[in-house]
Amino acid sequence: MTLERPQKESGTETETETGTGAGLYIHAPFCTSVCPYCDFAVTIAGEERRRAWVDGVVREAEMYSDIGLTFDTVYLGGGTPSSLDSEQLVQIVDGLRRKLPVDRQALLFIEANPEDVSPRSASAWRDLGVRFVSLGVQSFDDVDLAFLGRRHNATDARRAVEILCETGFRTVSVDLIYGLAGRSANHWQHQLESALGLGVDHLSCYQLTVHEETVLGRRVAGGAVREFGDREMTELFFLTHELLADAGFEGYEVSNFASAPEHRSKHNQKYWDYSPYLGLGPSAHSFAGGRRWWNLRKLRLWQNTVSEGKMPVEEEEWPTGTQSVLEALMLGFRTAAGVDLERLRARFGIDLLAENEDLVDQLCTSGHIEVDGLRLRPTLAGLAIADTLARSFSV
Amino acid sequence: MPVAVEFGGILDNVRSFCIIAHIDHGKSTLADRLIQYCGGVEEREFRDQILDSMDIERERGITIKSNTVTLDYTARDGKTYKLNLIDTPGHVDFSHEVRRSLMSCEGALLLVDASQGVEAQTVANLYLALEHDLEMVQVINKIDLPAADVERVKEEIEVDLGLDADEAVLCSAKTGEGIEDVLEAIVERLPPPVGDPEAPPQALIFDAQYDSYRGAVLLVRVMEGTLRPGQRVLLMHTDKSYNIEEVGLLQIKRVATDELSAGMVGYVIAGVKAVSDIAVGDTITDAEEPAAEPVPGYKEAKPVVFSSMYPMSTDEYQDLTKALEKLKLNDAALIYEKDSSVALGFGFRCGFLGLLHLEVVQERLRREYDLSLILSAPSVRYRVTLTDGQEMWVDNPSLYPDRGSIEGAEEPFIKAAVMMPERYVGPVMELCRERRGENTTFSYLAVGRVELTSEMPLAEVLFDFYDRLKSVTQGYGSFDYEMLDYRPTELVKVDILVNGEAVDALSQLVHTDKARARALHYCERLADTIPKQQFKIAIQGAVGGDIIARKTINAYRKDVTAKCYGGDISRKRKLLEKQKKGKKRMKMVGSVEIPQSAFVAVLKTDRD
Repeated sequence: MTLERPQKESGTETETETGTGAGLYIHAPFCTSVCPYCDFAVTIAGEERRRAWVDGVVREAEMYSDIGLTFDTVYLGGGTPSSLDSEQLVQIVDGLRRKLPVDRQALLFIEANPEDVSPRSASAWRDLGVRFVSLGVQSFDDVDLAFLGRRHNATDARRAVEILCETGFRTVSVDLIYGLAGRSANHWQHQLESALGLGVDHLSCYQLTVHEETVLGRRVAGGAVREFGDREMTELFFLTHELLADAGFEGYEVSNFASAPEHRSKHNQKYWDYSPYLGLGPSAHSFAGGRRWWNLRKLRLWQNTVSEGKMPVEEEEWPTGTQSVLEALMLGFRTAAGVDLERLRARFGIDLLAENEDLVDQLCTSGHIEVDGLRLRPTLAGLAIADTLARSFSV
Repeated sequence: MPVAVEFGGILDNVRSFCIIAHIDHGKSTLADRLIQYCGGVEEREFRDQILDSMDIERERGITIKSNTVTLDYTARDGKTYKLNLIDTPGHVDFSHEVRRSLMSCEGALLLVDASQGVEAQTVANLYLALEHDLEMVQVINKIDLPAADVERVKEEIEVDLGLDADEAVLCSAKTGEGIEDVLEAIVERLPPPVGDPEAPPQALIFDAQYDSYRGAVLLVRVMEGTLRPGQRVLLMHTDKSYNIEEVGLLQIKRVATDELSAGMVGYVIAGVKAVSDIAVGDTITDAEEPAAEPVPGYKEAKPVVFSSMYPMSTDEYQDLTKALEKLKLNDAALIYEKDSSVALGFGFRCGFLGLLHLEVVQERLRREYDLSLILSAPSVRYRVTLTDGQEMWVDNPSLYPDRGSIEGAEEPFIKAAVMMPERYVGPVMELCRERRGENTTFSYLAVGRVELTSEMPLAEVLFDFYDRLKSVTQGYGSFDYEMLDYRPTELVKVDILVNGEAVDALSQLVHTDKARARALHYCERLADTIPKQQFKIAIQGAVGGDIIARKTINAYRKDVTAKCYGGDISRKRKLLEKQKKGKKRMKMVGSVEIPQSAFVAVLKTDRD
């Protein structure tokens, strides 16, 4: 079964190039309501706190002004950053550009919910410099949307996609969730078709993951809601990759698909190719100079700490060489580009192939990886068991 | 500081006795009470000094290691007596240890639970005590319980044991009621020891402990003669000599004395450093002027159950070696020799007195030495006759000869005795039948109480016979056995293959009729406990080249989480690290990862 898709010109970037810069992530923890499956740090807060947060982010940015990184992506995530009004967004972006070394050509990303998308708001984002919009659609089916506790319906979703596509962003991306119990593979296929039919260039397709400490988690634990089993989820995963591949989309990461290389999320790729990034705002994570650190989770606490002029860091760690290699493998095997062996050698002094000859042979034979020059690439089967691959290697 | 020992009329004021009872009838509690009463020790601090120091013993309500204490008791007649309480293991597996303790006594308290009455081990232990000519004092314990029925129990004593129950002492070790009566009975009714302190020394080592500073501490009952510090002594069976450094009494703590003479119970420290130099059950005598003969009755206990044990990781092998040496010090019945397995590396083949002994050793290795072990299926020792007429003993499946060269095989049989209320006779007879019991008969002991005997292969009792028995008799059945003889059997060797590779540690020798069921059980257990891997796993049970059972574990095709962004990386890596660590505890068979729990699970029976 093939899905039709209009062809676009492909870009000139290599598959691995995410720019030489670092990524800047801003966490906007605001939502109009909390979705039952969400385990992010989010809160429903009024204007007062939103204003305070904006100031806080700029203040926090200042604390890192000498961090020695140049940022070529800026990602507004959350929560629902699209629920901020355009003045606030301008304030943030300007503030960041003033306080931190943000590239003139840096790509801006924003996460948006359909209910926040209007021709006006979309234009404002575009004028701000946003090039990549990630729309939290989740499903084009009203029953699914109700189950997921979303505030939009299918019509809203479609309309929002249309508006975004008309506005002139470089990439419009749609988030979709599969694996709602009781929904057939056909049903899921319709969701994909709907998204593609609207002309998006990027899809993020996530398996429904039930976290214990969420409303959904409790409903599942209480037996009110059934969870799909491993087998069904596995089938949907493979179906997704196959259908989208047929439609000309590359599954460049476990859950992320792009119609052409230039539509890949350059910001997210920094997580997977071991580039540095700085996170501002409550619960935001950072990685630079071999150090990982993350912010306080609660808005109020983060706010107070920043007001006192202190870095709102909750915890940090310094992964050892072994741990870092494990991270590189775990992240690398999640991407079609795979693991860069030369980079591993250069950074950590490890010759992965030499130390794991038998394993690599075995995995090639079983069809889970391919050796491509100095890269170890997972096949689709390998991608699906990326975690197993990562921990099988002797580092 | 050595203390001059005063005995008045030397031995008249000494009593050496032990407590014999069925499991759970309160032996430990009674011992504790006696100690407490005589020692004036507070309830609270005394908890640390109880004889049963091991958790597993408390769990099972049994004593495994022998322990001893000398109590000072001032009786109603005004005199002070030295009471040597020699504690004994309560389970049939350890009858040799019981014998050694009995040989050190003149009398015994026969303890019976007032609510449970006479049980199988009460009988078994009584016979042992009678064999050793011990004077008996019957004690009926737990009279505080609402279910206590003293009259009924007295009748059982008379009928089941053939003893006169009129003079039974009643007590409750729990509440303390009647404890003084027990002590008076010991003083009045048990005879003092006899022995000549001037004769050539003869002291029975009935137990040993290991002190990391002093070496082996030998617990002895001096039969004849006297032992003193500075004396050069000879251990008669091991034929080694030592200088005595210290002797003394065991009074919760060790109390050094000038000497230990005939009739006394205490300890000897003689600079014995090597654990392997001790044979509990040996006789100590003077090196210059030895006794003519050792204390009679020393017999090496015969192991009947065999199993191989392997450390989970090869770098624990040395630790296992040392641990077994230390265990053997006071567990003379444990035998072992080096063994190795293709699947599991280097280990030891061990012989045990029974399944309980095996479990206890395994538990002690785990708790006292922190060793995590894999055990092969326990096996009895078979006598195999080859076509060329040769006979060999086989317990290790990997040494089982080729089928073609076997003429016949025989297996050890036991005579099992089960005591229970009559309403359970049917299910118990069925259980014995299932376990290939022969000549199963039963007789009435008293109204409503039955004793059933059956001749069964020991191999059938190895797999949780006792637990099944308890289950079908709702806890009322009790069980004891004695070895009988070897009888012809039909054996096959069942192998377990994982993706075509035999896991030698899982092979076993099974009766033909039971082979398929056993193989299937193993396959099912493995299929349940081996985690899915990224390829299919075929588990098969085979006899020779024939597959007689199989189970398949499907591969998993996906394990990745949906999202992995900045905030997920650290947590995810930690999870992978944890999984990698867990993997190190797996055994590799070909490319299949098998957790230790799989090896343990196969040994559990169907009902678990």
